[in-house]
Amino acid sequence: MSDSTILYSVDGPVARLTLNRPTRINALSLRMRDDLHEALSAFADDPTLRVAVISGAGERGFCAGADLIEFGTAPSQDVARRTRQRRDLWGLLAGLRKPLVAALHGYVIGAGVEIAGLSDIRIASEDAVFALPEVSIGMIPGAGGTQTFPRAVGLGPGLARLLAERPDRMSASEALSTGFVHRVVPRSELKRTSDEIAVQIANRDAPALKALKTAVLDGLDVPLDAGLNLERRLALTL
Amino acid sequence: MPFTRIRQEVAGPVAIVTLAGPDAGNLIDEVMAAELREALSELDDDPSVRAVVLTGNGPDFSCGTVLEDRPSGDLIASHAVASSIARVGKATVAALEGDALGQGLELALACDLRIAGATVRFCLTRPDSPGIPWDGGTQRLPRLIGRSRALEMALLARVLGAEEAAAIGLVAEVAEPGQALQRAIKAGEVIATHGPVAVRYLKEAVYKGADLALDQAMRLEVDLATLLHSTTDRAEGLSAFAEKRKPEFLGE
Repeated sequence: MSDSTILYSVDGPVARLTLNRPTRINALSLRMRDDLHEALSAFADDPTLRVAVISGAGERGFCAGADLIEFGTAPSQDVARRTRQRRDLWGLLAGLRKPLVAALHGYVIGAGVEIAGLSDIRIASEDAVFALPEVSIGMIPGAGGTQTFPRAVGLGPGLARLLAERPDRMSASEALSTGFVHRVVPRSELKRTSDEIAVQIANRDAPALKALKTAVLDGLDVPLDAGLNLERRLALTL
Repeated sequence: MPFTRIRQEVAGPVAIVTLAGPDAGNLIDEVMAAELREALSELDDDPSVRAVVLTGNGPDFSCGTVLEDRPSGDLIASHAVASSIARVGKATVAALEGDALGQGLELALACDLRIAGATVRFCLTRPDSPGIPWDGGTQRLPRLIGRSRALEMALLARVLGAEEAAAIGLVAEVAEPGQALQRAIKAGEVIATHGPVAVRYLKEAVYKGADLALDQAMRLEVDLATLLHSTTDRAEGLSAFAEKRKPEFLGE
């Protein structure tokens, strides 16, 4: 399993997913995308699992983005679109109703920020740097970055960062002050802190966690009165 | 027809539009509004322009409209500008010094980035006004700084300084007093190095997506990202990345 691009392990109610292409700073390849889809599905479908921690292998970073060599060779637009709709990793992540904790270190670039943006709790080590540099190479983020990032940090700071130049990276402390990450810890503490938070979450009632996440996320997508109805309905299911 | 209430300079890929009214405070009258709409539309159509900086002549950006409170619908239509700024498909950067009040603030809110001198003052409403903002302020301000802070600014006619505006995400950068324009041009020059089609699609994804449920917004984003596959700019961006050189985008 060690040559797998995603390491997946289970410890009681906690699933651990590790992006595992350390020689490429865990840049997302096509295979990694499919492996991550498989691992997330396994997590989502296993009723004994309550929370997952996602992290990146190696010293250099969580994820340096999509592997542009591979993704640059995508076939026609139609095929790219159909492939995405058939096996929608990002839709799966966005629709996950179990909590996901992201442990972020080193380079968190492009798709790395997007995975983090689709997580619920983001813990960063002090050395983490964040950037969404897509427009500097004539692209835009395609895994929710234009949506999750401004929703997390606000429209103004979100746009400022999305339009900024590539070397202009966001530090861990700025990520904390803008609200993108929830806690910053020394690198040596990153694993312990994210594990502790996962265990803290796992100790809560599982149906309540699911209802909480659903109420907050789905409620934000509808008018307030519909959100209040949703909350009431969910409260009555518990 | 030469402009009389604004100045327009194109310095390479960055265009600078300067509010230059006859009175102190760059009050926005019907002529200035029409000239701004015309200039912005032309700049949007000019492929050599990659970013637009909006600034004010003199010590203040703009102290607002010349109109009395509670104008008619026709007067609002002839004096409104913000939607024309928001329609621009290039990055828009407001360079703000002194006062940005009322409609002056509303113009700044319609830009993508706001860069302010340290002595700037923002205020949306006057405490004695029987009217409400009509150039987008009640909509764009809460979307930028959240409804709690926006309601406070609106209901208390609160004046905000640069540091506070930066802390709540209203301005992207605070410059030394008098240096906002230089910093805004610098930001425009950086954005001018990006893929122009990508910048236009990025803006569409962010602004339109903000009004959609997340799943619909992500669908819009990926469709725009996939459309970009058809551009030569994207191919150039990928080659430049692989060859570790700076890309040269044509905007097509």
